[in-house]
Amino acid sequence: MMLSVFSLKMSAEAVKSVFLCRLRIVSRYRGWFLFDMLVPTVIAAIPILLGRAISGENAAARFLENTGTANYVAYMVIGANVFMIVSNSLWIFGFWLRNEMQTGTLESLYLSPVTKLTLLAGIALYTAFRSLIAFGVAFTGGCLIFGVNPFQGDVILAVFFLLIGLIPIYGISFFYGALIIRFKEANSLINLAQWAVAAAMGIYYPVTVLPRVLQYLCMLFPPTWVNQDIRASLLGLSYFFGEWYYDLAVLWAFCIVAPLLGYYVFLANEKRIKKNEGVGRF
Amino acid sequence: MTRYPINFVVSFAQIFVIVFMMIIAMSLFFGEGSGGMSGGFGGIIMFGFILFMFLSDTLWTIGYNIRWEQVQGTLESLYLSPASKFASLVSRVSISLVWTGLNCVAALIFVSYVAGELPYNNLGLAFYILVFSLSGTFGMGFAFAAFTMVARESANLAANALQFVFMGLCAMFFPFSVLPDTVLWVSRLIPLSYCVDAFRSTLMGYPEGYPELLPIGTELVIVTMFGLAMPVVGYGLYKIAEKRVRIKGTLGEY
Repeated sequence: MMLSVFSLKMSAEAVKSVFLCRLRIVSRYRGWFLFDMLVPTVIAAIPILLGRAISGENAAARFLENTGTANYVAYMVIGANVFMIVSNSLWIFGFWLRNEMQTGTLESLYLSPVTKLTLLAGIALYTAFRSLIAFGVAFTGGCLIFGVNPFQGDVILAVFFLLIGLIPIYGISFFYGALIIRFKEANSLINLAQWAVAAAMGIYYPVTVLPRVLQYLCMLFPPTWVNQDIRASLLGLSYFFGEWYYDLAVLWAFCIVAPLLGYYVFLANEKRIKKNEGVGRF
Repeated sequence: MTRYPINFVVSFAQIFVIVFMMIIAMSLFFGEGSGGMSGGFGGIIMFGFILFMFLSDTLWTIGYNIRWEQVQGTLESLYLSPASKFASLVSRVSISLVWTGLNCVAALIFVSYVAGELPYNNLGLAFYILVFSLSGTFGMGFAFAAFTMVARESANLAANALQFVFMGLCAMFFPFSVLPDTVLWVSRLIPLSYCVDAFRSTLMGYPEGYPELLPIGTELVIVTMFGLAMPVVGYGLYKIAEKRVRIKGTLGEY
């Protein structure tokens, strides 16, 4: 009886245990933290240096003509850092699931009395913790390296967009977990997904420069909104719907839809796999 | 590869997405007089991209595969087989050579179709530079495999980090001229930088200011020496690491 009845407090403790477990494991490999902080700067550096090579002193003016801001450096740094958060959520979640499969512990986890949602919440919490620390350091560091003021624009609103945006991003991770369980090829799926994500969210460009059909597709993707809205609040660009609160309302809608849809797809796939070969097979 | 068809498809799709993003990003900086993708920058990006693809693939296929064999517990079994260890390393490289080569050709066709013709000058000499650059890159892969044996779990991180470090330091997606002086100083110490510079300058027909680091004759000497020496050095390091882990009994330990 005790094993089948889980109070809210017990679930919270289980979430905390999963969170601490992942934190302890990564604390053995501290280089990953350093990597999380360095990569966004390198990713941002490519278009910044390319822009300077192409346009020289006119780079800012040409960027202004095409995007509405002359601050192309901050534009790229924001894009790269938001991308890193999305990419991290996919990597950490996907590899957690895949590693559990390959080391043969996924089935054991399924036999434990906690719900899957508890396990997933623990992983999401750990990913959010790690990503936010990396984001803070990488964004500030990137701004310092490229000589940009990190505290320009409406910083509080930008942080708010970022925090709200994390919820649908982890909802997408559930959906992504379903793909890993279904296709079992985490490496290739993550590789493709992270570049597709970068293209869809407009890591280097506003999605409005894309053809109309692609724009609509990109707007179905929550990170596109997070990215554009953070840029808008920090760099004074326009929001998708003109005012920040309309965009925020859309993000709230994503906060409800994305986790529910992601979790539903995850459960549906899991059920299908359990009926066939079982979740532990890879 | 055939057991994981998604891997097969994804490696192509991934390249198209990356190239597509770069083209859009560059278009935001184009204006009067900048020439567009076919005006030189297409060549700078795409020819550097080819070497980046091989480098990245080498680090992952050679280095990471060793790690994977460790995790799966098959590395020790492989060592008990009478097959040559060198052949085992080279076999991993050959997959990279064929598959990444096809990916690169597909990417070049894609860019030519989307953004206009790329310059293809001095094909014979460019092929010579590519062969020796790849030979040196594979040597780096052997050295990385040695590191993997010692570093174990940190090898993933190192492979990821190294590809980004080389991407930046060897100016694979942009000209060396935009690098800050201190970074350029480090770039000059890396032989792969001369491979990138010589390869794209040769294919672009040596436009004014190219090659950027040294005269082409000197760069060819460096590229040739890199291509000849690095596989020997890399394999030497691999043998040292292998001996060390076998003595310590940590070959299959992870």
